[in-house]
Amino acid sequence: MVKSENKSEKAAKIVFITAACFSIVAVFAIVLFIFASAFPALQEIGTFKFLFGSKWFPKQDEYGLLPMIVATLLVTVSALLIGGAFGIFTAIFVVYFCPKKLKGFFNQIIVLLAGIPSIIYGFFGMIVLSPALKSLFNAESGNGLLASALILGLMILPTVTSLTKNALESVPRSYSEGSLALGASREQTIFRIDLPAAKTGVLSALTLGAGRAIGETMAVLVVCGNSAAFPDGLFSPIRPLTVNIVNEMGYAMGLHRQALFATGLVLLVFIFLLNGFLAFIKREKKEKDEANRTLVGGGAGEYIYKVRGMGSKILSVVSCLIAAVVVLVLGILIGYILVNGLPEISLDFLFGKPTYKTPTLLGAFVSTGWIILLSLLIAIPLGVGAAIFLVEYTKPGSKLVKVIRVFIDTLSGIPSIVFGLFGMIAFCAGGKSLFAGALTLSLMILPTVIRSVEESLLAVQNSVREGSLALGATKVRTIFKVVLPSALSGVVTAIILSVGRIVSESAALIFTAGSLPMVPSSPLDSGSTFAVLMYNFTAENPNMEAAYATATVLLMLVFLVNLAAYFCEKKWKKNK
Amino acid sequence: MKTIEQFKFENKIAVEIREMDLFYGNFQALKKINMTIPENRITAMIGPSGCGKSTLLKSLNRMNDLVEGCRVEGVIQIGGQNIYDKAMNLSMLRKNVGMVFQRPNPFAMSVYDNIVYGPRTFGIKKKADLDEIVERSLKGAAMWEELKDRLNKSALGLSGGQQQRLCIARALAVEPQILLMDEPTSALDPISTGKIEELCTELKKDVTIVMVTHNMQQATRISDKTAFFLLGEMVEMGDTHKIFSMPENKKTEDYITGRFG
Ligand SMILES: Nc1ncnc2c1ncn2[C@@H]1O[C@H](COP(=O)(O)OP(=O)(O)OP(=O)(O)O)[C@@H](O)[C@H]1O
Ligand SMILES: [Mg+2]
Repeated sequence: MVKSENKSEKAAKIVFITAACFSIVAVFAIVLFIFASAFPALQEIGTFKFLFGSKWFPKQDEYGLLPMIVATLLVTVSALLIGGAFGIFTAIFVVYFCPKKLKGFFNQIIVLLAGIPSIIYGFFGMIVLSPALKSLFNAESGNGLLASALILGLMILPTVTSLTKNALESVPRSYSEGSLALGASREQTIFRIDLPAAKTGVLSALTLGAGRAIGETMAVLVVCGNSAAFPDGLFSPIRPLTVNIVNEMGYAMGLHRQALFATGLVLLVFIFLLNGFLAFIKREKKEKDEANRTLVGGGAGEYIYKVRGMGSKILSVVSCLIAAVVVLVLGILIGYILVNGLPEISLDFLFGKPTYKTPTLLGAFVSTGWIILLSLLIAIPLGVGAAIFLVEYTKPGSKLVKVIRVFIDTLSGIPSIVFGLFGMIAFCAGGKSLFAGALTLSLMILPTVIRSVEESLLAVQNSVREGSLALGATKVRTIFKVVLPSALSGVVTAIILSVGRIVSESAALIFTAGSLPMVPSSPLDSGSTFAVLMYNFTAENPNMEAAYATATVLLMLVFLVNLAAYFCEKKWKKNK
Repeated sequence: MKTIEQFKFENKIAVEIREMDLFYGNFQALKKINMTIPENRITAMIGPSGCGKSTLLKSLNRMNDLVEGCRVEGVIQIGGQNIYDKAMNLSMLRKNVGMVFQRPNPFAMSVYDNIVYGPRTFGIKKKADLDEIVERSLKGAAMWEELKDRLNKSALGLSGGQQQRLCIARALAVEPQILLMDEPTSALDPISTGKIEELCTELKKDVTIVMVTHNMQQATRISDKTAFFLLGEMVEMGDTHKIFSMPENKKTEDYITGRFG
């Protein structure tokens, strides 16, 4: 007995295609909604005046964005210099100089750095970095350009490191063997052969890092000094575009509000430009790859012949030192927060009934739980469906897949503050709510879900699919009964990564789910997660004790998520 | 819900292949194949590597549909129905024309679930029915005694030979009329090979078997008919003992005497 299979087969395919195309719809919706909300401002103020005006006085209806644009560009470039250099050297250390036993440790350090919520980086900047800079340089205040660049540099370091690491690890052995065979030292080979060969990978790492820096809000919010003036020194207070939005959105009305959306639009344009650049260098690489293969090997011989100095030796020592500094900084960050935060944690603070005067974390437990649950309920089916379409229903090299990939990548590059703006207009017609926040976050985690499920689907052997099809099972049945269960690891990984992302997120939730420490009674109430409360305690209603305690809880959650990810990976590696 | 029918064989003929060409893109892998495969017999397909044996086998249950750019011309009839007809129901075809692959490919499930996977696919849900099917199929594959106490263990824990016989049992569970086997023993040790050969001889009471093999002795041991392929063409087909004792074609003779291939 069978149902008429053909119809349900077709229906399923349509469902998968829809899930896959959802990313396209989401990107268009975000751009359109933001554009529509920004357009009146651009019209009334004038696009040129808005972009190149140098005064931002909302009260007098003067909206010139140039100081913020300059601040964003300046802080991004400085963060790239710092985080880029540190990131690349850390990667070099991990790949080439790290003792085997420490490799796992360093990989975990990088994962941990990537997992720490940006609001915690901001908090760390506020309590440790700024005061240190202030006394070190005898400045009036430690906040400003330098502090922002340092914090952002630290934030983008894991991105740069892990991508550079991948690029270095995929440099063919034959390259370096050729160099070593010529009598070059190991250090020379690394810096003269491997690193140049991994150039494109390093460049994309830096580009992605730049994207993160431009879009970052919470980490710079409390250390930037927040003044809409042109920066004129390392300690001059600045206000990047993201901070402009998050600072004023809470009370902005009318034209002011539209001008803030226009700020978001400018941010989007920057991100899209970077995406375009990324696509460009990737295409370049593909075309040149073959030609390069001989070029790199051939050119190397001459090069090494001339350079036999100490340069490479010194660089390798530097990479070890830098890796040590990274571990040290992470140690200080975690240590400082735990030492100060653990004593502030009490049962009362964790689970007591919150009032405006004495906030507690009870609301955050409930809100975080709801938002995780709802976002996963939305994003996991969508992401799994999209991954199934991409892996099971398309041929390699298909145009549609390429288009969908571009949009998934685009979606993953959109700054969280822009997601926040979008969620605010798209989902908050009935006011802020956990549900609106979850809808917003499900869009943010979708690319991650798709990618990790896709990877594990690709790892399923084709013979297994054939075995099921040959029994007369339909494609859909094969996918759900045989392929997906074998790819379970990918779904679980997706869930863990998503939980990590949701727990860390704050910028996208402030305007969609709320930022008050109250206990929501249903997902339609507003409420704030731990990270958002952390924002509340550092920026909106400063409360040091609560901030330390919340930061500690947040760090614990991040540890838990990383631990879960670590053990899952280990378990599945063993099973294979 | 509609019932899956069986093919109705007439004149003891299971499969008729007429003037069949097969292309992978521009490459013609099979040329003008004409073959008649008899019911309840074991038909062996032999020939040097790359001559198109697997390709022909896979076109009998349209597993070729999965290959990008693969095109079939001509007619393949099973029980009088052209299986490349638009109206052909793929599930029906593959349920009745089962397949066993070169490498065992058990699913990552228990032994029991592997076997009932097919029946469940076709809507059999009752526990009692499924239990019965498991017993029948495992007995059919001569491994009931071996496995009856570990039905709930993962199939991946079985030995290679057991896995392959499990895959046969899994194929038998949906009561196929034809069983396609692509070098089913080439990845196995001699003892497991022997068991599978014995099994095939048992099975032909109920199913028509088409088997690709590299091993000519295997073909002589178990098959009734043998077809010899070369470079995408079927050179000769006939009773196995005849093909191996007095082939009509010179090329067949060269091959079976080991002069080339
Ligand atoms: N998916 C495919 N795409 C293109 N060409 C293919 C494909 N599969 C097989 N071929 C080609 O078709 C021809 C027949 O292949 P086939 O696998 O049927 O041979 P075979 O007789 O089974 O060989 P073997 O004994 O090695 O298994 C070969 O030349 C092979 O290269
Ligand atoms: Mg073959």
